[in-house]
Amino acid sequence: MKLIILPLYIINLMIIPFLFMGIIRKAKALMQNRLGASVFQPFYDFAKLLKKGETVSETASCIFLLAPKIVLSAALIAGILIPWSGIPAPQFLQSAANFILIIYMLGVGKFFSMLAAMDAGSSFGGLGASREAYISILIEPILLIGISALALSSGSMNMSEIFAKGFSPFVGVLCGAAFLIAALAELSRLPVDDPTTHLELTMIHEAMILENSGRNLALMEYASAIRACIFLGLSAQTFLRVSPLYKNLPVLAEFIIGIAALFIIGIFVAVVEGFIVRLNWRRVPNFIAFAAVLSILAALVAVAKG
Amino acid sequence: MFNDIFLGGFSIYCGAAFLLWALVIVFGFISKKSQSALFPILIGAGSLTLAAGAAFGGNGSFSLPLPLFLGGAGFQFLVDPLSRIFLAIIGLVGIAAALFSPGYLHHLRGRVSIGFFWAVFSALLVSMAAVVISANAIVFLFAWEIMAISSFALVASDNESHSVRKAAVTYLVATRAGTAFLMAGFLWAYKLTGSWTFSDWRISGAAAIGPALLIFIGLATKAGCWPFHLWLPIAHPAAPSPVSAVMSGVMLKTAIYAMIRLLVMNLIDFPALGAIFLIIGGISAFWGVLFALLQHDLKRLLAYHSVENIGIILMGLGIAVIGKQINNPLVAQLGLAGAVFHSFNHAMFKSLLFFGTGVVDARTHTREIEKLGGLIKFMPFTTACFIIGSAAICALPPLNGFASEWLVYCGLFTIAKSAPSVIVRFGGVLMMGWLAMVGAMALACFVKAVSVVFLGAPRSSEAERAKEGTRGMVAGQILLALVCVSAGLLAPQILKKINAILAAFSLSAASQNLWTIPMPLFAVIFILTITIIYFWMNVISRKHPARKFITWECGFGKTSPRSQYTATSFVQPIARMFGAIYHYAVHVELTGKDRRHFPEKISAESDYEPYLQTKFYSPLLRLMRKISGLFLGRLQTGSIHQYLLNMVLVLMLLLWVVFRK
Repeated sequence: MKLIILPLYIINLMIIPFLFMGIIRKAKALMQNRLGASVFQPFYDFAKLLKKGETVSETASCIFLLAPKIVLSAALIAGILIPWSGIPAPQFLQSAANFILIIYMLGVGKFFSMLAAMDAGSSFGGLGASREAYISILIEPILLIGISALALSSGSMNMSEIFAKGFSPFVGVLCGAAFLIAALAELSRLPVDDPTTHLELTMIHEAMILENSGRNLALMEYASAIRACIFLGLSAQTFLRVSPLYKNLPVLAEFIIGIAALFIIGIFVAVVEGFIVRLNWRRVPNFIAFAAVLSILAALVAVAKG
Repeated sequence: MFNDIFLGGFSIYCGAAFLLWALVIVFGFISKKSQSALFPILIGAGSLTLAAGAAFGGNGSFSLPLPLFLGGAGFQFLVDPLSRIFLAIIGLVGIAAALFSPGYLHHLRGRVSIGFFWAVFSALLVSMAAVVISANAIVFLFAWEIMAISSFALVASDNESHSVRKAAVTYLVATRAGTAFLMAGFLWAYKLTGSWTFSDWRISGAAAIGPALLIFIGLATKAGCWPFHLWLPIAHPAAPSPVSAVMSGVMLKTAIYAMIRLLVMNLIDFPALGAIFLIIGGISAFWGVLFALLQHDLKRLLAYHSVENIGIILMGLGIAVIGKQINNPLVAQLGLAGAVFHSFNHAMFKSLLFFGTGVVDARTHTREIEKLGGLIKFMPFTTACFIIGSAAICALPPLNGFASEWLVYCGLFTIAKSAPSVIVRFGGVLMMGWLAMVGAMALACFVKAVSVVFLGAPRSSEAERAKEGTRGMVAGQILLALVCVSAGLLAPQILKKINAILAAFSLSAASQNLWTIPMPLFAVIFILTITIIYFWMNVISRKHPARKFITWECGFGKTSPRSQYTATSFVQPIARMFGAIYHYAVHVELTGKDRRHFPEKISAESDYEPYLQTKFYSPLLRLMRKISGLFLGRLQTGSIHQYLLNMVLVLMLLLWVVFRK
């Protein structure tokens, strides 16, 4: 049992994120009637970026160089602690899987990625950081209320236990939908932001990493791939656990089903992105309000059941 | 039993203060050199013993001998676990301030008399220590007033500029109003119990409403929570930085201490206080951080963050009171532990941030963040400490701010899980979301502060010529930064100290293990991961070295520092979102020929009108001025004869009231 789990963590954090990004891109390309790059392209990109030299702005300080390392570490640790693919946090870290710690851990990553974006003194970085801060003010309460609703329904603050014990189906469906909408905003995807554009005025994530290059960029892209897995995987798991069938399965089975669900959500996101356009920036709060309503409803259901 | 260490510490402290006063008052002057060497050493030694006494000393009570008497009651003091936590705060910040201040005062030399500063500063520290150990209401008020007056003198110390004088007067008025409420509440409580001693005050039921509300308003004014916070962002920026640090970090906490002692520990038991604390705390937290986002003056920004953090502490107190009402000791303990621990943590990181601001102010002579930038290259230590302080105030793990906010979150979660009424449970979840939003706004605010002040390129020639603070200034900051880090990692050990307070407060004697996160392990893994990635990147970079080049600006070539994102533009989306609270407006003016497409000059200006001030306090003040013009104007004519007559008349009235039986 334990011997299986260790390689699963490695697959989880080192292979799935790249593959997931590749699948989303491929699905999006197919939606646009393009052939698209291979699903393994993100691996090649990562390897290529690591091999390239790096250009650092003269204005930037050591924060700019340090930030990608901190951002990636925060994402990796959050990725281990959150059971986004169905495997719980490792035994020795089990008690650290408290959901508030995890949300604030993601905040550490955000803090340093915003600082790095402002560090080069470029107004693009500032634009991206400002919007990232704005979006996170809208998203963070939704995420916290949503996970609290799940936690209340299952009776524990520990992420692994929340998903192991299960929660009431109604709360699960509401939260899953809230997380999905919140994830689109948090991950800078359509309709909040278009991840494929550079130098467009709504870009958030891409504007923040405009100044990064080479290995610095590789780390940032890796971290954002993990974050995509975490947020969409959280939604996938919440939906999956609604079904009583997805419970007490062998670890490997839970993992495979979890990853399959993640990929399906990824393809769903790509398909949706094929149909919709980016929202006017000022309308973004109205879109996120859906998620807020869903998560608050979920919380109401969770507390009403007692 | 009472331990000698504590008494020793306190007496050295008082001794130092008296010595300083004697030196200043009796001898009038001391040589400049000995002033700058002797005073900080004395204050530092006193603070050190105070902190040591608080940490390792015992509990007990003592009183000054009888000739020293304050009318209704003697000088009685009581040291218990609650006051020791606050004494530790005073001591730790006192040490850091003693390290930091000499360098900062050097920058103010000529404007602030050093002897006066240290004498008043030591009086402030002594009076704060006396507030948290006073055993009866009269000693409390006595110390409270010395604290208020000495802090007023310190705010007014750099009084050459008009704004400082105005700020000092505003502060004085606010603290007078607060004390008036507090005195009224104390008198009422005395009337109900017939005793000035705090431990005799056991008021409950309907009788408690009056004194509880009066005392709450009086203390809330001092603590600076919404809607009594207006003086805080005016007074704190006006004071010299070490004074702002002590006022914001420590002095506000004395009001929190009094709230815990009088209102939370059930001396005056008014059940609705739980909801009041929680709601006012929630509004304060949001209000403080929202207005902090709009500020461009670094110190005013930090002052608004004090409003925010006091709000979080009040939320903790509210959780404690509610926990007691719903008969859930776990909730009560989480709330109170969160509030006390956050008081400690806020003192540490807020003083640290004010010190950082002090270095920036001393080295660049401006606190306007739009004129700063790129200071990390000139003051690496200050920047590192400021980033640690910012991360702590944003409650990022594994620092101390996270530890205490986590307790507050857990308290709210436990309310949501186990309160009997659905509405209270739902309120608990919503408050968690509220706190998360406040946290995200604090994150935005400190990203703004750190990046605009310390990162990027310098925006003015003053910022270009900045250099690191003196060794003492850096040492003071590093001390507090270390406390921030270690209090985060050693949270369970600090909670053990707080447990003694909880035991006195909680319903069940058995104290639960509140802390469940293995923080040191977590921090080690985090740092290990960073190190591994760091070395991995180092290995790669040997083959492919980095090259320096200008910031990418779409091929325009090197741009000027003015093209950087400003603090105003950084917060603009957020400011616009909450515009209903303060009428946020941006005015853009284009001038020149064919000005739509090729303007010669563009000026943009953002502005906000805080409705609480303009729609509530200003009319109130106008009304008061009108009324006082009608009545008080007749009494206060400026003629000494009439004043003497007034005094005689009032004296006769009082004599008649007392002796008419």
